[in-house]
Order: sequence, then structure tokens, then C-alpha cells
Amino acid sequence: MGSFLRRYAQPYLFIAPAAVVMLLVVLYPFIYNFIIAFSNMSLYHLRNPEFVGLQHFRTIFTEPEIVSVFAKTVIWTVVNVAAHLFLGVGLAILLNQEVKGRGIFRALLILPWAMPQYITALTWRGMFNYQYGAVNLMLRALHLPAVPWQANEYWALAAPIIANIWLGFPFMMIIALGGLQSIPKELYEAAEIDGAGWWFRLRKITLPLLKPVLVPATVLGTIWTFNNLNVIWLVSHYGEPADKTHILVTYVYKAAFHYYRYGYAAAFSVVIFILLLSFVVYFLKATGEKGAAG
Amino acid sequence: MTMKKLLSVISGVFAAFLFLSILAGCGGGGQKGPARIVLWEIMDPEERVILDEFLDAYNASHADVEVSRTNFAPEQLRTQFLTAAMGGGGPDLVFGPADNAGPFSIASVVHPVDEIFPGDYLARFIPLAFDTLAGHIWTLPAQVGNHLCLISNSDIVKTPPATFEEMIRIASDFTADTNGDGSIDRYGLVFESKEPFWLVPFLGSFGGWVMDAEHNPTLDTPAMVKTLRFVSDLRNRYGIMPRECDYQLSDTMFKEGKAAMTINGHWSWRGYDDAGIPIILSSIPKNEKTGLWAVPMISSRGYSVNVNIEGEQLERVKELLKYLVSPEIQVAYATKLSVIPSIREAFDDPAVKKLDRIAASWEQYQRGKRMPVVPEMRAIWDAMRPAFQNVLNGEATPEDAARAMQKDAVRKIREMKG
Repeated sequence: MGSFLRRYAQPYLFIAPAAVVMLLVVLYPFIYNFIIAFSNMSLYHLRNPEFVGLQHFRTIFTEPEIVSVFAKTVIWTVVNVAAHLFLGVGLAILLNQEVKGRGIFRALLILPWAMPQYITALTWRGMFNYQYGAVNLMLRALHLPAVPWQANEYWALAAPIIANIWLGFPFMMIIALGGLQSIPKELYEAAEIDGAGWWFRLRKITLPLLKPVLVPATVLGTIWTFNNLNVIWLVSHYGEPADKTHILVTYVYKAAFHYYRYGYAAAFSVVIFILLLSFVVYFLKATGEKGAAG
Repeated sequence: MTMKKLLSVISGVFAAFLFLSILAGCGGGGQKGPARIVLWEIMDPEERVILDEFLDAYNASHADVEVSRTNFAPEQLRTQFLTAAMGGGGPDLVFGPADNAGPFSIASVVHPVDEIFPGDYLARFIPLAFDTLAGHIWTLPAQVGNHLCLISNSDIVKTPPATFEEMIRIASDFTADTNGDGSIDRYGLVFESKEPFWLVPFLGSFGGWVMDAEHNPTLDTPAMVKTLRFVSDLRNRYGIMPRECDYQLSDTMFKEGKAAMTINGHWSWRGYDDAGIPIILSSIPKNEKTGLWAVPMISSRGYSVNVNIEGEQLERVKELLKYLVSPEIQVAYATKLSVIPSIREAFDDPAVKKLDRIAASWEQYQRGKRMPVVPEMRAIWDAMRPAFQNVLNGEATPEDAARAMQKDAVRKIREMKG
């Protein structure tokens, strides 16, 4: 014990403040959330919650809206992350070339990321107005029919997705650009000498060597997008039309903070946590195995 | 001392310092100074300017007290105050709408106002200013109103309409495609047509209401069906309202002179003045078919006192509260922002009595009906909203929407009560 302390006291002392903060702001609420997930805590039972077992979990999986909300969450996450990856990596490859004014392009493309999400979301909402919004004005100018972005169930989901793609691609672009700059030029030169074309170099050099940076970025992007409340909540104006534009987190938010159904919302949060944890474990395992095989 | 030992000592001191700093940050500090009173409020920017002036004056004249305020969005204030007060903390005072009384009283996080102020003091307020729940008053009213009125651009509408028929006629005359591009660019009537709060005045004019005396929803009624059809007709049959007319759009169009009339509350009037739009306030018209006036929801806004404060601090807060709702401050709000005072002396003040806007707003107030302050109202709003939107979007008939909102409201209330 004495030798352990002599050896590790210093690093443990250094991490102690951070560990205390983590315990207080992460671990404690996390455990508390699990506990109240099994209680009937709500506005009416705030001071005297009772144990209700798995009641909330049964309610969650038998609610008529759950399939639709889950499907929309999957669409929201997959489309956003795929678009972020495609646009981010594509633009990074373009910006990695010797282009005149590259610095200006980089600054402009990072701009959406630098804007506060709240303001961006509300601006996009205004732009999606049927009659006066910029998006429909442009469509009309192109002799295309105006789209009911805020009135139709499907377009109302498309609108926040577009806004979030605009907001999110710079992150992936920056990550990919960093990864591209770490790929040795000699590999491309050798491939060119061997007669490899652009597409072949992309598939066999660029993408495999970007994988170590793109895998964690994709995991992070998926978790952030899955849990992104602000954009869809604000662009759809709290789930309009007719509460049809909800993903799991907005659904939980409404249950907790509009209806004060704290026990139910906590149980829902546990379900979301398990879903995300399963995804991350599966994704890391799958990409790790392929990486090893490749 | 070796370098390694020195590093150990330094790191130990550093870690202890950081830890103690965190603990110190969590505590209130040990220094003596003026007693702090914390106010959380949801006021509009113009209201906050006036409040700050009076709070500065209060702080200057009370060396032993320091009042600070923080602005919140209504929903944030409600949630954060509930959480903080349940944990034994939170601000001393909150300013918000009367319907905060529902969750605050059920969670027992505020003092009943009638238990901390004597009856003769409360008798100084106009009786209509108070909301009661479970036999108590939970908010000391600072303003009366928070209701909708008809607002006309007097350059366009010389005499505000008295009936729905007149309103539609005036609005139809103004609605036009002025530049001939096939798209209408000015409308006769604009209002937030996505929020059921704006639907309620019309519901009242057809003889309906949102809940009964036992707080059960009363949404699946012939009155609701007629109301939904009427509001849908304003847009889809008469064409006097734009599609997807939300608050922002209606506010902007009215401020740009592209709308003849709008329906909005006292919080908007100053903005129209600043935009240079000459406005006339009037009651939302009468329904000539039923003979009933439109019935907007009326309520008060005011201060609630955190249940966790006691003793000397409670006395300090009460003194501040009396100042914040004093006739002097209420007259300032009334004359600058046309807010109806809650205290009799301010209400009867000649400077307030002569204001046309206060008179028109008061007339509308008297035609209104109190907004229920029970938490069930939230479930009713949320049940009405989607069904109302579905009617406007042509995705549901008024009959189906009325049935759906009733069913949804009953379910949501049941879920809320757990």
C-alpha cells in the first residue's frame, strides 16, 4: 500500500478535482436517473414518489407513437450523419488541393459551425415559411412548386434535416482535413507512378488512411445527432405540425418538461442510453474488425 | 528535498486548492455584506428597462439589501424554479404568468400570498386581478391582462369592425396581389394561427370553453366544431389570412403595413409603435350568429415567493414586493407600456384613466374569461394544438379534430397524473 501510494499519489492527486466534478455532475445524475425511472415521480408525486417497477418501460414500448418516433429518429440520424460525412469528406478533399483562395473557402465553409445553433435554427425556420420563406422563393424563381415545409408531416422532418446538415458538415470537414494532411504525399506519388487513377487512389489510400479519424468522428456525430434537441425542436417549432416532427429526445423532453412526467422521461432516457450504447459497441466492434482484416 | 518529493508536495497543494475552490464555489461565502434578494423573471425587454430603473433606485436607497434579477424564457423559469425550489434552493422571488400557480402550488414550492400578506393589504388590489387555486392566492399580481385584442392599422381601417362579418369584409377589401405576380402580398387579417391561445376567443364567441368547473376538457363540442370551421374559413374560404401564419410572420407583416388587422396582446403594441404603424385597439368582434362577443383568455402576471425563504429574509422580500407592485411602478408600466395596473390606486390614477389603450384593453378584459391556472390546462393546450393545425392544413375535418383533441386531452391528463 505504501509503495502504491508513493508511486501513484501524484497522478491521483492531479486527477482528483476532475474526478470529483465528474462524480457530482455525471455519475450522480446518471444513477439518480436510473432510480427515478422505476418510480412514478411526476408533478403530482414530486415529494412522495413510489416504486412502480417496469411500468414506464411497458408504457414506452406499447405507445402508439413509439414506432413512428423511433423511425423518424433513425431517418434523422442516418441522413444527417451520412450527409455530414459525404459533404465533409468531399469538401475536405477539395480543400486539400492547391486551390487559389483556399484559406477563404475554408473560413467560409467553417462559418455554419461558428454560428450559434439557436440562431441558425430560428433563421432556417423563417426561411422555410411557405409564402415568404427564402427557400420557397428560390423554388418559385426556378419555376418549381413551393413546398409546405411546416405543414406537411414529411417535409416538416426534411426541413430540420436540411438545417442540421448545413450546421454539421463543417465538423466532419475539419476532422477529415486534419486526417488528409497527415497522409504522406509519397503514397500518392507512388500510386501515380504505378498508374493508379483518382478513384483508385481515393478508395485504396485516402479512405483507408482517413478511417482512424473518421470512425471516432462518426461515432461522436451519431451520438450528437441522435441527441440533438435544439435544431429539430426549434425548426419544427416544438414538433409541428400536429406533434408529428418528434425524435426520441424531443419526445422525452416534452414528457419531462411540459408534462412533468419525470419517472416516465427517466425511463425513456434509459432506453435511449441503452440504444446508443448498443450502437457504439456494435459500430466500434464492426469497424475495428474490418480494419484488422483490411 | 528531492525534485520528486517537491513535485508531490506542489501537486498535493494544487489539488487541495482546486478541491477547496470547488467547495468554496458551491458555498455562499463567509463575508458579511448586504442581504441578497434574487428575482427570476420572464419580462419583455421593454418591461425589463423599467424594472431595472426601479431596482437600481431600490438598491440605492437600501444599503443593507442588494436585489439582482435574471431573465428566463417562461418554460425555463417554470422548470428551473421547480427543480431548484424542490432541492431547497432557488431564487427568492419569481415573476411570471398566473398559470405558474398550478405546478407551483401542487409542488408546494411557493408561499400562499394570502398567508404572508394581510387581508387589508390585498384589498388594495382590484378583485379581478387575483387567481385562486385550492383556496389560496399564489401570485401577487403586478399586471392585469395578458389577453388578446384586435389591433387595426388606422391608416387602413378607420373604424374597427364590431362583428365577424364586418371584419371579413374589411379584410377582404384589403387583401390583394398588388404587384400582379400571382401571389397575394397583403392580407386583411393576420394572427398566430398555430397556437390554440388564438383560437380560444373564437371558441368563446360560439359559446364554447376549454374545460368545465371540475377541470375536465370540453373540446368535443358543436361550439368547437363551428370554431374550427370558422378559423379555417378565414384562410381557406375567404382567403384573408396567409398560409402558415405564425407569430413571427403576422408580427412582421403588420409592422410592414402589409396587414390591415392583427390579433395580439399588450406585449406587441410598443413594437408596432416603434415600427411607425398607427394602431387602434378594440375588442375582438362579436359573432353575429350567436350574438356573443369573442372571449379571449384573461389572466394576471405577478410575483410568487419561494417557500424556502423564512424569517428576516421573508420580511425583506415582502418589503421589496410591496415596492415592486406599488402604484408608482404600476403607473409607470401603464403609461409607458399600456399595461393594466392591478392595484386600485394605480388603476384609478388620472394619468392611467385617460389612456385610450388602457380603456380599450380593459373593455376587452371584461369580455374575456379567466384562463384556468390548473396544470391540466397544459395538456389541453397540447391536445388542441395538433388538431387545430390539422384542420388548417386540410388534414382533418373540424368534427374529427374536435374528437381527436378531446381524446388526446383526456389521455394526457391521465398520464400527467400518473
